[in-house]
Amino acid sequence: MEYRLKRDLHSLLDPRTKLLLLFTSSVFVVGNAGEKWMVVFYWILVYLPVLLLFIEREWKAGLISIAIYVGSYFAQMALQHDLTPLESALALMLYIITKILPTVILARYIVKTTKVSEFLAAMNRMHVTDKLTIPISVIFRFFPTVAEESRAINNSMKMRGIEMGAKKATEAVEYRMVPLIASCSIIGEELSAAAMTRGLDVGKNRSCIWNIRFGVFDWIILVLCLLCFIWWGVGRFFI
Amino acid sequence: MEKNNRLNAKDLINVGIYTAICAVICCAVAITGVIPIMMVLLVVFVPLFTGIPYMMFLTKVKKFGMILILNILMGALMWVTGMSWYALAVGTVSGIIAELIYRAGNYNRKWNGIIAYAVSGIYCWANYFGIFFNADAYFSTRQNYGQEYIDAVTGMLPVWMCPVLLVIDIACGIIGGWIGTKVLKKHFVKAGIA
Repeated sequence: MEYRLKRDLHSLLDPRTKLLLLFTSSVFVVGNAGEKWMVVFYWILVYLPVLLLFIEREWKAGLISIAIYVGSYFAQMALQHDLTPLESALALMLYIITKILPTVILARYIVKTTKVSEFLAAMNRMHVTDKLTIPISVIFRFFPTVAEESRAINNSMKMRGIEMGAKKATEAVEYRMVPLIASCSIIGEELSAAAMTRGLDVGKNRSCIWNIRFGVFDWIILVLCLLCFIWWGVGRFFI
Repeated sequence: MEKNNRLNAKDLINVGIYTAICAVICCAVAITGVIPIMMVLLVVFVPLFTGIPYMMFLTKVKKFGMILILNILMGALMWVTGMSWYALAVGTVSGIIAELIYRAGNYNRKWNGIIAYAVSGIYCWANYFGIFFNADAYFSTRQNYGQEYIDAVTGMLPVWMCPVLLVIDIACGIIGGWIGTKVLKKHFVKAGIA
C-alpha cells in the first residue's frame, strides 16, 4: 500500500480559533466581565473546554477536571455566610479554583493539541511578527520543563536536608533557584541549536506540512466568541 | 561582538526561556496573595525573587528589543491569568525605559542593569491599579473572598499608598537586582554560564 501523509490530520480547531477562545475565556471567566448579564455565556465558556477534551478523547483528564470543578463549585456555594476565618480562607481558595480552572483546562488543551509548527504557521498567516511568536512558543514548550526541573531539584534538596521554612531561608531559596536557572539555560542552548538546524534563522518564509484552515467548528467557536463580546458590549453601553 | 543588530532565533529563544522562568516564580509567589497581608507584600516579594533569573537574562541581552519583548510577554501573561490590562500597558512603557537605561550602559554595566530591572519590574505595581482607582468594580468580582478579606485589603490600601507602593517596588527591584548580581558572580560566572 502506498503511504500518504494525511495533511489534514490535526486537532479539531485551528490554532487561531484556540487563541481567540482562550482570550474570550480569560476576559469573561477569569476577569468576570459583565457578571450577571453574561451568565449564559459564562456557563458555556466554563463547560466548553471539557467538551473539547472529550472530543479529543481525553476522557480521564476531562472527567477529573469536571469533577474538581463541580465539587469546588458546590462546596464554595455551601460556604457563603457566617464563616469562621479558617472557613473563609477555604472558601476563598475554592473560589479561586472555580475562577481559574476552566481557563487552565483550556490552556492545557491548547498546549496538548497544538503542534509548534502549526502554531508558528498560523501566526505567520496572521502576520504576527516572529519576534513575538518564537518567544511565545518557547514559553509554552518550557513551562513543563521548568516544573519538571524544579521538582527534581526540590527532591534532591530535600534529600540533603535543605527545606523551605528551615532556619536558613535564603539558603533554601538560593539552592533551588541557582540550579534551576543553570539547567534551564543549558537546555536553552540546546534548544537554540535545534532551532538553528531547523532553519529558523534563515529569514525566508517557512513552509508547514499541515494544512491549516478554518473548518465548520472553527466558525461555530468564532461566532460564539463574537456573540460574547457583542452581548457584553450591548449590556455595557446600551442598557 | 557582532555588528548584526537584528534579533535572531537564539535571542528570541533566550527571551522565551527567561520569561517562562520569571512567570513560574511570579506564579509561585503570587499564590500567597490569598492572605490579605501577602497581597500587599507581593510588591516586595516578586521583585526580590525574580531578580536572579532577570540578571541572568540581562547577561544574554546584547541587542535592542529583548527587554521590551520580555516585558510585553510578562504583561500579557498577567492579563491572561486574570489581573488586568494595566500590567500590559505599564509593562510596555517601562520595558522601553529599561531598554534605554540598559543600552546607555552599553549592555554590560552592572548598575545600569540593576536600575533597568527595577524600572521594568513596575508591572507588578500596576496590578494594584484596579484596587486604587476602581475599588468597587474590583471587589464586585471578588465578593466571595468574604467581607473580611475586602476590608483587610482596602484598609491597607488607601489611595495615598499608590505612590508609596511604587517607591517600595522600585526599591525592592534594586535590592533584588543587587542580590541577583551577587548570586550571578558567586555561581554562574565561576561556572562559565553567564
